[in-house]
Amino acid sequence: MAALFYILAAISVISALTVVGARNPVNSVIALVVCFLSIAGHYVLLNAQFLAMVHVIVYTGAIMVLFLFVIMLLNLNKPGGPRKSLAMRLAAAVAGGLLFLTLAAAVRQGVAITPAAGFDPGVGLVRHVGQVLFTEFLLPFEVSSVLFLSAIVGVVMLAKKDKDEAPDPHITGPERARRTA
Amino acid sequence: MSALVLLSVVGVVLLYLGLFGRRTALAATGVAGLLGTIALIATGWHLESPLFAGIVRFDGPARAYTLLMAGATVLLFLFGVDYYARMQRNVAEQYALMLFSLVGGILIVSFSNLVMLFLGIEILSIPLYILAGGKRDSFRSGEAAFKYFVQGSFASGFLLMGLALVYGATGSFDLAAIGTWSADAAHGHDTVFLLGLLLTLAGLAFKLAAVPFHFWSPDVYEGSPTLITAFMSTVVKTAAFAAFHRFIAALHLPDAVGTMLLTMTVLTLFLGNVVALRQTQFKRLMAYSSIAHTGFLLLALVGGDPRSGDVLFYYLAAYTLATVGLFIILTLAKRAAQGEEHIRIFRGLFRERPWVAVAALLMLLSLAGIPFTAGFVAKYRVFMLGLAGGHVLITFFAVAMALLGIYYYALVVREAFAPREQEGGTLAVAPLNWLVITLCGVGVVALAVWPVALP
Repeated sequence: MAALFYILAAISVISALTVVGARNPVNSVIALVVCFLSIAGHYVLLNAQFLAMVHVIVYTGAIMVLFLFVIMLLNLNKPGGPRKSLAMRLAAAVAGGLLFLTLAAAVRQGVAITPAAGFDPGVGLVRHVGQVLFTEFLLPFEVSSVLFLSAIVGVVMLAKKDKDEAPDPHITGPERARRTA
Repeated sequence: MSALVLLSVVGVVLLYLGLFGRRTALAATGVAGLLGTIALIATGWHLESPLFAGIVRFDGPARAYTLLMAGATVLLFLFGVDYYARMQRNVAEQYALMLFSLVGGILIVSFSNLVMLFLGIEILSIPLYILAGGKRDSFRSGEAAFKYFVQGSFASGFLLMGLALVYGATGSFDLAAIGTWSADAAHGHDTVFLLGLLLTLAGLAFKLAAVPFHFWSPDVYEGSPTLITAFMSTVVKTAAFAAFHRFIAALHLPDAVGTMLLTMTVLTLFLGNVVALRQTQFKRLMAYSSIAHTGFLLLALVGGDPRSGDVLFYYLAAYTLATVGLFIILTLAKRAAQGEEHIRIFRGLFRERPWVAVAALLMLLSLAGIPFTAGFVAKYRVFMLGLAGGHVLITFFAVAMALLGIYYYALVVREAFAPREQEGGTLAVAPLNWLVITLCGVGVVALAVWPVALP
């Protein structure tokens, strides 16, 4: 089991670094899919099958496919992107480095991390998740509907095309003719 | 609970009203819903529910902050009648999103479970990202929405990581349980807990626009529609500060975190006030002034004094009144000046609309902290708290920064009372706007005479 954990952890870290480091956005997305799959593996190791399944279906399946579609549709699948100035890159490196230093120092100091509670192998099972969600965390569960509703309203508000609105100047050719017709 | 349900339902009703084209009924319905919420909170009817015990708790401060936020939203909705009168589309959605955002605000001023804190902040923020981009034909508005969204998501990531680490260290999401755990001397140097606190506070500091997490604020304030800017700098700021205070007051903070907060306070005071000196665009000026006020509010909190809750509430009430009024006056002046936002658009205000100019003067003086206004009393109480907490040097630094701050508010006052050189457009003031401006102008003086305290 321990060997499996280390293999999965190595895959997670390497793929996460690839997400940030890859020059081509498509490679980044593929690396992110690998990262999510390895994290789902971690969930299985913790006996949280439900979480692992949801993670694969929602993140790896739906969201990453959406990412790929956006990249393809907007034609972003070319390496590069805007160049950052040297000062900006330096500032980012210093800020990120400071946070990394803090985290590294904390991990070094806290090698003997003692968990606050022992591990309960039943905690991630769907039965337990359901019970907690509909008893102890009922309010957060219910109130997240407000969050989703405002996200839906926002999408409609920002993306809806009105009849009297001028056609998008970026759309040309037959597509434009079809839309204005 | 009843208040949360009412507000969410009124939000949905507003969406339906928009669907059926009842534009005139929008603001009235919204205000009616908000007044209903205020009544429910004030009478305490069905606030607690045993089903949700341990997730939210409507204690005295939570109710007071809810009243303050709902009251500010009422003022903004009244302003909205005139503000949205020329807007053709999506008016109902904007009102509804403000109500949904307010629901998130109420959740985070009353949270007693960290899950609710995170979810509440998201419910507060997501409508704001959309509202910031509400002017679809404006490039700046889109830029503001995008910047706010990207940086806000980043901050949410920090917050979530921090909360996860706090949970890992303490084994609980419950605020009281974490408080008891952190009071144990053996846990004072727990690295995981410390790291969790650091990241959580960084995530929260983003919402407060405290330096060094303030970079979004000037651009977002400038690009967003003015009504939304006013909403951000009053309701959202109040919610974020109340949640921040609720979080740190419940815990026994390790020394390292105290030092971090003090450093943040000094940096925020310095940067907010000094950069504001060079601003000529009114909205950017208000953004930096808002950062400067964040510094003063942080100073009230760092001592961990039991009275700091009262001072925080009073300061936020004074700040909210002055800010709402000033943003309304800005909109009116901006309209007369064909969309310009330079502070010279206020020139000749006194000649043209003496009462509006006097109200603006009162609000600016209150923000600057001149005696006989609520802003002065608020700043005075903050400085007393700072001295009582033993931060003498930092308090003197804050006093110096407050004196520096008078300069940039005085610049606006000078414009308002200077005669106009050439004729410009006339400043039209709708009766409802006049009412809100008067309420705010009188309010900042009345609050100085009658200081409010938390129940």
